[in-house]
Amino acid sequence: MNEMKMRFLSRVENEPFARTSIVAFLMPLNPGMEEVMEIKTMIAEAVTNAIIHGYDGKDDGWVEIHVRYEADHMIDIVVKDEGCGIEDISLAMQPLYTTKAHLERSGMGMTIMSTFADDFHVVSSAGKGCVVHLRKQLHGQTTSTHQ
Amino acid sequence: MKHQMIGNTLYFYFFGDFDNLAVQNLKEICIDLIDQWQPAVVKMDFEEVSFIDSTGIGFVLARYKQLSKMGSKLVICNLSRTNQTLFHMSGVFQIISYERNGVKI
Repeated sequence: MNEMKMRFLSRVENEPFARTSIVAFLMPLNPGMEEVMEIKTMIAEAVTNAIIHGYDGKDDGWVEIHVRYEADHMIDIVVKDEGCGIEDISLAMQPLYTTKAHLERSGMGMTIMSTFADDFHVVSSAGKGCVVHLRKQLHGQTTSTHQ
Repeated sequence: MKHQMIGNTLYFYFFGDFDNLAVQNLKEICIDLIDQWQPAVVKMDFEEVSFIDSTGIGFVLARYKQLSKMGSKLVICNLSRTNQTLFHMSGVFQIISYERNGVKI
């Protein structure tokens, strides 16, 4: 078992920092190329949501990520913000639904996370911040189907 | 990002990360280039793109809308397999065509 926590300001440039750091932390598990891409994408979606939606683009909020993995290579990632929260989670989960179409958001973030994770759930309510739980079983290089 | 205009076609070549940060920096430039050149076709080349997320999808869909208003067409080119998965998931290929394209800068 191993775990780490990171906490950073809701600045756009911290999103690539977060996804590359987390992938680096998971390197001892020897993840496959495709798994690395999927993890990076999930983190990008969760952190971008925190910045764009949770904090409405303001760069002085805190985003916290907690990563933990077990000997069987099951990884749990929790992304937390203390922003505005989500009023209707099931609406937010719908593919292509976005409250920020004017910012050219695709409304695909939640769908992407739920596709790439083995288990995905969101705990949030209006004004109470947002906690995204992502669970993924890694299979490693050997079973990777990457070309 | 690089671009070139050949005939009526405007080519965009993206590289590296195509994430929220990158799109923020590219968006206005692409909007302005399309306005300025008024191309009949825009081809976006993703061959050198190593990472894309939903922000990238949002950007592509927004340019599709911008071009549709002018009666112009958008074509997406040279996506990696992982990147293709993301586009498929979003239903992008139901409205935007895809091709392997060899026209390079």
